[in-house]
Amino acid sequence: MKANRYLAEHATLLVVAVVLALVPLGLGGSAHYLRIATLMLIYMGYAVAFNIIFGHTRQLFLCVGALAGSAAYVSVVLVIKMSWSPWATIPLGILTAAILGGVFSYVSVRRGLGVIFVGIVTLVFSMIFHNLVLGLRDLTNGETGIDTKGLGPGVLEPGLGSYYVILGVLMVCLVIYHLLMRSRAGTAFRAIADDEFAAELAGIDVTMYKVLAASAGSALIGAIGAIYAYYGGFINPTVYALVSVDIVVLVTLLLGGMGTLLGPVLGGVLFTVLDEVVRPLGQLNVLVYGVLMIVLVVTFRHGLIAVLRKLTRIRIP
Amino acid sequence: MVAILIDGIVQGLQLSLMAVGITLIYGLGGVLNLAHGQFAVVGGIAAALCLEAGANPLVACAIGILGAGVFGLLVDRTLLLPAYRSAGEDRLLLGLLITLGLSFVVNGYLDYRYANISLTIKLATPSFEVAGITVRSASAVAACIAMVAFALLFAFLKATLLGKVIRSIIQNEVGAGLCGINPGRIRTLIVTLSAMMAGLGGVVQGLFSSLGTEMGNELTSFALIVAVVGGVRSINGTLAAGVLLGIVNAFASYYVGAYLTLIILLATAAFTILLRPAGLFASRT
Repeated sequence: MKANRYLAEHATLLVVAVVLALVPLGLGGSAHYLRIATLMLIYMGYAVAFNIIFGHTRQLFLCVGALAGSAAYVSVVLVIKMSWSPWATIPLGILTAAILGGVFSYVSVRRGLGVIFVGIVTLVFSMIFHNLVLGLRDLTNGETGIDTKGLGPGVLEPGLGSYYVILGVLMVCLVIYHLLMRSRAGTAFRAIADDEFAAELAGIDVTMYKVLAASAGSALIGAIGAIYAYYGGFINPTVYALVSVDIVVLVTLLLGGMGTLLGPVLGGVLFTVLDEVVRPLGQLNVLVYGVLMIVLVVTFRHGLIAVLRKLTRIRIP
Repeated sequence: MVAILIDGIVQGLQLSLMAVGITLIYGLGGVLNLAHGQFAVVGGIAAALCLEAGANPLVACAIGILGAGVFGLLVDRTLLLPAYRSAGEDRLLLGLLITLGLSFVVNGYLDYRYANISLTIKLATPSFEVAGITVRSASAVAACIAMVAFALLFAFLKATLLGKVIRSIIQNEVGAGLCGINPGRIRTLIVTLSAMMAGLGGVVQGLFSSLGTEMGNELTSFALIVAVVGGVRSINGTLAAGVLLGIVNAFASYYVGAYLTLIILLATAAFTILLRPAGLFASRT
């Protein structure tokens, strides 16, 4: 029984990797669509990480964009000002994001903050980050942003190579997620999500596991944010704003299904398709995101995976 | 110096107008309204449209405030129902996400439809002098409006039976229900009232400088900071926090620049939550 369940998850990971690897073949070499597909991978990655934080331990981090941005700015600014190698600064950026996420989590658990106050504190952090980047003009160039470039031939330069590099990163995120969930920590996460109080009484160290979830998730967010900085060729505060990242990630995760392995991936595909459909509406797409979010929160809280599970009667991971 | 102080107090009063709505809706409905600034913008833009159609400024402002109220009523009776149906942590989360979604809907629509419209109300006499200090008449009018609104609100809450009912629900919803109070109806009243006060805040913003469609998020975040620092369940605290932060804002913007000021305000809010979650002026934490 147990071996069988892991088999299903391994098979799912393999199928995801193969299907996503085949996507560029279906795009017929269009650079525009390749870029959209790559962006889809980026948002899937954010959603996988956010899933660990919010989906499993109920910590509403409204600062996905700000965490990704912190990692990106730490990495890029060190490269530009100190002329270090991006290979050294990306891990530093990841570390920054992980520490920030861990500290938020530790402080909120220690102070016994409810979900809403965690939301407010992280929202406030998002705004502080935004204003800090705008204010520290000498380092960050403010609203104008900083131009970045790839990491050498094929790596994170626009083109097919980068798609596979980022796909690799996404698969690493998914594998980390899978390993985390099948470990002792995964069991603890499930207990905490069901009933935090009961988990504490059962002898689970709630503080440690919540902080673990938050810092692991934040590290992944930071990794993707920093990598995106080099792939995108340009960073400014808007790239990592609440509207550009957090909302998309929330909608993606809600669409796919919280607390599932496949949810962020399916949600990412659906969201990208939807986004393409509403693109002709121009500025109205913000409205569409909002409507989508309300509808999803109210009627579709368990996501696509739950529906599929019910329809096919198969245990989808 | 005095001019900055007056500016700060007036701005603080305006922020309190917005923040008190967040406090009331959270205290009574258990929903943290992240679309509160959008209520103000809806009211302000409605007033601006009336002004453009050639209406008397007073009538236009009244329509704007009423418009915000109607919008609040609609939101309460439709969008927030699923949140009210659940309880505890679920209601908080649902309310937060629904209003966040709503703020994007309003932003998206207004930016698309009324991008070029903004509310600016000009008074006949731009400024006058009191004891050698030049006071903008807009500031004076704004301060008067805000103070009258607060006086009315306090009188309503302290002196009328309905006000007593409202305070009882804020203290203990179950207990109030046991005394035969219907929280649902009172909630609708309060959301409408709060939306109207937000609309008033929007109009005051138009009086003070100008109100555009893109200002919703900014107003929401300022109001949220004030509500948090004042304590999300205390109305007196909200008023005090509004004036205090208004003064801090005015002086800091003058001396250290806008970005740093906002960071100071945001950090104040963050530390308040962490150190005194019931608010800076709460008698006990």
